[in-house]
Amino acid sequence: MKEFELEPGEHVVLQVRKHWLLFLGELLPYAILAIIPFALPKLLPLAPPLAPYAEFFDYTNSIMRTVLGVWLLVSWTGAWGAFTKYFLNAWVLTNARVVTIKQRGFFKREVSSLLLTRVQDVTSNVVGIIQSLLNIGNIKVQSAGAEVEFTMRGIPRPEQMRDLIIKYIPENDSETTHI
Amino acid sequence: MPDQPLQPFSPPTALLTYLPDGVSAGAIVEWSLYIVFAFWAVYTLVAIYHWLKYSHASWVAFPSIALHLFISFALMAYALSGTLFI
Repeated sequence: MKEFELEPGEHVVLQVRKHWLLFLGELLPYAILAIIPFALPKLLPLAPPLAPYAEFFDYTNSIMRTVLGVWLLVSWTGAWGAFTKYFLNAWVLTNARVVTIKQRGFFKREVSSLLLTRVQDVTSNVVGIIQSLLNIGNIKVQSAGAEVEFTMRGIPRPEQMRDLIIKYIPENDSETTHI
Repeated sequence: MPDQPLQPFSPPTALLTYLPDGVSAGAIVEWSLYIVFAFWAVYTLVAIYHWLKYSHASWVAFPSIALHLFISFALMAYALSGTLFI
């Protein structure tokens, strides 16, 4: 990943993305869209007034094949776009700073850095049953001035990330890694 | 509430009877496909640009792009397999 240049003496300690389960949740609408053309012909006969419309979903018909092909193409492309955005969003911890890379949309990218020397408080929290079982949570990193606050949402093993951040915070200014 | 059962409405293909002279259903399908494929091409190019610019060093980038192109072309071939013989 080359979104930012590492300074001399700086190295990446950990790079994390949102938990894969949350990504699967983002894929769900596309999966439902893709299933609709196959589910409707089976579901419509269950409602007698709508049953005659089931025959429109005959995919041996050339027009319906085209419609189905285009429908699936749009669903697939949307899902792939969601994966692209998921992959391009990341949090990177180096031995000198925390970097958040937010890909909010195509051509809308935000890269922010917070020097570890300015970190005052690191909080992790895991809320919910599924989150607790799978160890998914959030981390809040607050700077000394309290005007900068980094929040990482839905990351796996938040305690590990929190401990790593704390581990790399210089104890005092004399031990600060100068980059 | 009406006490009569719902009456089936006309299928979308009934709209084809309102087409102006000289415009065939095949032409409409053809131009619709051009528009969809043009949108797909622009979206894919933009996404590939982002992959190559920001994640070219990742091992995921090229397999992801290759998989997207393979599945997309397969779906396009399926979509066109019906209309090529209209």
